[in-house]
Amino acid sequence: MAGAFASRRLQRELPKLQATTSPGIKLVSATDLQEWLIDIQVMDSAHPLYAGQTYRLRFRFSGKYPIEAPEVMFIRATAASCWDQKPRSIPMHPHIYSNGIICLDLLDKAGWSPVQNVESVSMSLQSMLAGNYKNERPEGDEVFVRTNTQRPRDVNFEFHDDDC
Amino acid sequence: MATLFKTEGNKAFEAGNYEDAVSWYTRGISKDPTFVNLYTNRAMARFKLEAWEDCLNDCLQAIELKPQNFKAYFYLAQAQLNLKHPNEALSSASTAYEIGVSTADASTAKACELVLNAKRAKWETAERARLRQRNEMLRELEDAIEKAGFDQSHQTVNPFEIHEIEEATKQKVQELYSLFALADPANMQRRQVPDYMVDQISFAFMHDPVITKSGQSYERTTIEAHLKVSQTDPLTREPLSRAELRPNLALKQACTEFLESNGWAVDW
Repeated sequence: MAGAFASRRLQRELPKLQATTSPGIKLVSATDLQEWLIDIQVMDSAHPLYAGQTYRLRFRFSGKYPIEAPEVMFIRATAASCWDQKPRSIPMHPHIYSNGIICLDLLDKAGWSPVQNVESVSMSLQSMLAGNYKNERPEGDEVFVRTNTQRPRDVNFEFHDDDC
Repeated sequence: MATLFKTEGNKAFEAGNYEDAVSWYTRGISKDPTFVNLYTNRAMARFKLEAWEDCLNDCLQAIELKPQNFKAYFYLAQAQLNLKHPNEALSSASTAYEIGVSTADASTAKACELVLNAKRAKWETAERARLRQRNEMLRELEDAIEKAGFDQSHQTVNPFEIHEIEEATKQKVQELYSLFALADPANMQRRQVPDYMVDQISFAFMHDPVITKSGQSYERTTIEAHLKVSQTDPLTREPLSRAELRPNLALKQACTEFLESNGWAVDW
């Protein structure tokens, strides 16, 4: 449930996001002030992993947003449900689990800052993809995906390296 | 005894029976006329009943008994807003906000919002008066031009001449409107809020900006909400405590002045 504080902030973020000129970031839906979907693309057309692909991010906001971080993860979608008739998968990345959960300090309790917003987070994830050339999942992906029952925001990641 | 009436009143209030609550509080007050909370509670019940005058009187009584009364000033400001007294509402809301800041009251953010609403109401009143006055003058001049055209067209029966006179009159009225628009540039300006007057956490227009070590200013209540969760500067992530925040007086003044002529900015 979005509180009054979160609602007001999101209402002000929405028109900016709708009018965004950031390449490769597209607001797909924001039917309410609790869950927004964003499509992102890596703009490098020669990128070995992500060229020509579109990935879908799901933002979920608590009533304490932006004091509290939003819950952000990649989600799958069928071609039929997408505006460009192409399916969405979970990008291969050493910090992205195959269930879409992202290990990024920015989205962690300690790393979040309330001056971040939906667009800046989308851009961070876009550059996190753009800078990666490893076609792999995080260590322990299978076990994590099988056993994790926590919401993404409650998972306590140990950040193994600086860019995680 | 008075406490008992207060408890009964609170129960009725919780249940949404505001009229019952009012009568319980009233009975309590007759037992103990110096019991401050009975007045503030009755003010809240009367506020719910939209009995603004009564609510206002209760708040004033409560303030007389206890001058540093956040709740009383908070409801007083809202009653005054509803009674269309924006200047008084602004003063009460500002007092509530100041008490809230000094006592770290949890509702300070709401008082801050109320201050901005009062400023907007104040601007709306001034704006309405200004438009009415301008329109009155505009209407008078427009009437005079049309009357002159009408008189002129009655001195001839030639349809071509009549048409020409009518066209000239239309032209004059149009010119009149554009002249008035030129004389009122504020009305033609694009409505845009400068980014530096907007809190980067809530994205709301600021009332009481405070500055951090890194030089960025935030609305006091929102940066304090952040510091409760994480004692870091939102931009640099360096350690930051509440005591290190400094009021940004120049920016506060700029925000206040901007609102005086742009009250709409409160809900941009």
